[in-house]
Amino acid sequence: MPIGDMLFRSVDDSQINGVFPNTFNEYKKWDKEKDELPPEEVYKALFEELAYGEKIQIGRALTRMNYSKSGWKSLIKTTSREIKKAVKKDELPNNYKEFLITANEKWADPTFWYAMGQMVNDTTPIYYWNALDRTYDQDQNVVMQDEKRRIYIKTWIKTLKISVYVTIFCLILGFPVAHLLANLPLRYSNLLMIFVLLPFWTSLLVRTTAWIVMLQQNGVINGILVWLGILSDDGRLQLVYNETGTLIAMTQILLPFMILPLYSVMRVIPKSHMRAAQNLGAKPATAFWRVYLPQTIPGMSAGGLLVFVLAIGYFITPELVGGKDGKLIGHWIAYHLKTTLNWGLCAALGAILLGVMLIFYWLYNKIVGIDNIKLG
Amino acid sequence: MSKFTKAFLFASIIFAPFAANAVTVASWGGAYTESQKKAYADTYSDPGSIVFENYNGGLGETRAQVESGNVTWDLVDVLPADAITGCDEGLFEDISSEIASMGVPGPDGESIAEDMEANGLNYHSGWDCCVPQIFWTYVVFYDPDAFPGEKPDSMADFFDVEKFPGKRGIHTWADGIIQKALVADGVAPNAVPTVFANQTGAIDRAFEVMDKIKDHVVFWSAGSQPLELVKSGEVVMAVAYNGRVGAANLAEGENFEYIWEGQVLDQEYLCLTTGAPNREAALDFMMHASSPASQAEQAKYITYGPMRASGIPIIEANEPWGPGGVDIMPHMPNTPERLKVSIVNDPQWWSDNGAEISERYSAWMGN
Repeated sequence: MPIGDMLFRSVDDSQINGVFPNTFNEYKKWDKEKDELPPEEVYKALFEELAYGEKIQIGRALTRMNYSKSGWKSLIKTTSREIKKAVKKDELPNNYKEFLITANEKWADPTFWYAMGQMVNDTTPIYYWNALDRTYDQDQNVVMQDEKRRIYIKTWIKTLKISVYVTIFCLILGFPVAHLLANLPLRYSNLLMIFVLLPFWTSLLVRTTAWIVMLQQNGVINGILVWLGILSDDGRLQLVYNETGTLIAMTQILLPFMILPLYSVMRVIPKSHMRAAQNLGAKPATAFWRVYLPQTIPGMSAGGLLVFVLAIGYFITPELVGGKDGKLIGHWIAYHLKTTLNWGLCAALGAILLGVMLIFYWLYNKIVGIDNIKLG
Repeated sequence: MSKFTKAFLFASIIFAPFAANAVTVASWGGAYTESQKKAYADTYSDPGSIVFENYNGGLGETRAQVESGNVTWDLVDVLPADAITGCDEGLFEDISSEIASMGVPGPDGESIAEDMEANGLNYHSGWDCCVPQIFWTYVVFYDPDAFPGEKPDSMADFFDVEKFPGKRGIHTWADGIIQKALVADGVAPNAVPTVFANQTGAIDRAFEVMDKIKDHVVFWSAGSQPLELVKSGEVVMAVAYNGRVGAANLAEGENFEYIWEGQVLDQEYLCLTTGAPNREAALDFMMHASSPASQAEQAKYITYGPMRASGIPIIEANEPWGPGGVDIMPHMPNTPERLKVSIVNDPQWWSDNGAEISERYSAWMGN
């Protein structure tokens, strides 16, 4: 249901079409080749719908209109005020076009009228195009967004890149730890397990802040490196407020999600398998590679998918430690949900995220097989 | 019926009336909400009837509550652009006549609106649904120890890495910094909003100024970070919320200096949600919270300025106003002489252009 609602919202534009049905109908008849500005009927319909429409519905529509072009909000609001005044005094204009342009000269600016074209249908793919840095030109052709505003494709790539790296790092770091945990005698491994779980139970914000203290230029790590003479005092490394910091902090925070499934899978692999392989003449490395490793694949897959899914939607940690590189796609979903209220774009971003996940799931199923996943 | 169920039913009968009548106020949490509790709720005739709940800003939750008809927040503490949008969309109730008739007047009978105009604000539709709270500002601050010789004292200095070498701490969103950039470029602070609204290319101009320091910036995203950045020496100057700097100076013994020139004053409102379950009680509390006395009281606990101009004389006349006998006026952002060098943000312009500018700003950061 929520997914259905999200998919519906990502193409739905019916609210505004309920507010300006006549304006949009007349708008569709406008021949842009012939007339620079829309015909008088469009202005008249707009005047009437602003004059007699429900204030709250118009307010909702304003928020929507502003996504297509900045400035709609105050344009409609100043115009509405003039219209209300005229209607109150019972002075309906003879020429609606002239009236609106006097009320606000922007009504003579064709770019606002072109932007209206995005909204005149009940359903629209525009949010998906926006989520991919594209928009419509005056004839409703899909074109690239203004270069200075292109952020989403970059953010998608950055999000995917960081998620893949974090998954790989978690695997590299988590595998030996899980192996150790699974093979030590229980009393040692229990102690070690606490070291894995302790940070897991610590607040996310505390861990993130701790990383800032560790990584900043006058922080612990840089301090030690300078003290050891490896770095000069001027050559301190920029380890945080960039992508490096994001990768380090996210890897540490997501590591338990890799270790736990790996551990539970490794624990049930009988030790006799390795011994049997070596008995049959395999070198330790070969035995590990051909006998042990294949048996851990279900754990690696479960851990890998878990970490990847969590990483791709992450946004608090990257925001805090990532500096200018810290805005992943999750940030923009939250931003449009709360600040711009552009829920259509939000839903489109969410739907694309879901699509990306499904593609990875499908790839995974092709390569490894989904039955192969095991949490213990 | 088990004992437990009986106890539970009994408890719900006892406590239900209190829970149902409590006015729920959604606010930002932390020291800010603490100051609201002390200044507004504790001084209210019935302090127990006010419950604060934390949220992260924005209108997302409010819209979801109003749309689904399941409103649990009576009042929401919002930024001015959200006050405008919320009022336009009908998420907040138009109570302009109640505000005019019930609002607590200033000492010379100033209405809430007159008091705000005296602080340099212009009417926007948020005023129909909301009452004013505090001025908070984006202010530049530094640790004087970082500058043994000449000390920076203007926006031009902040944007000049040759005169004052070292990194700058700036937030990861555009609001606040792009206005300061224009001041550094020679625009009078008071004129910045009109320049943005009326001159094409003003935004490009701001970005060009910011380009000059781009390679010397550490970007922060949480209000506590700029303090940490300056304290640890990661940056030499940073933009921060003035309340955070004030708290560091007053409570943590820091000695940070402010650069008031080019500070960006922004507003904060308390709005009545449409369909609020405790509408009448909430209205009454709104009027109490927006009285000059309550607003001045709040300055005791956090160094944000009263949005009602009549709040300032109360503080001035009663110094030392702060806890432990400290003077508060040196930390107030909206004294008359500081207002002269300040930018008063224009929320209507932001609600028109905010989304586009924030996309541009992100693209700028990433390049």
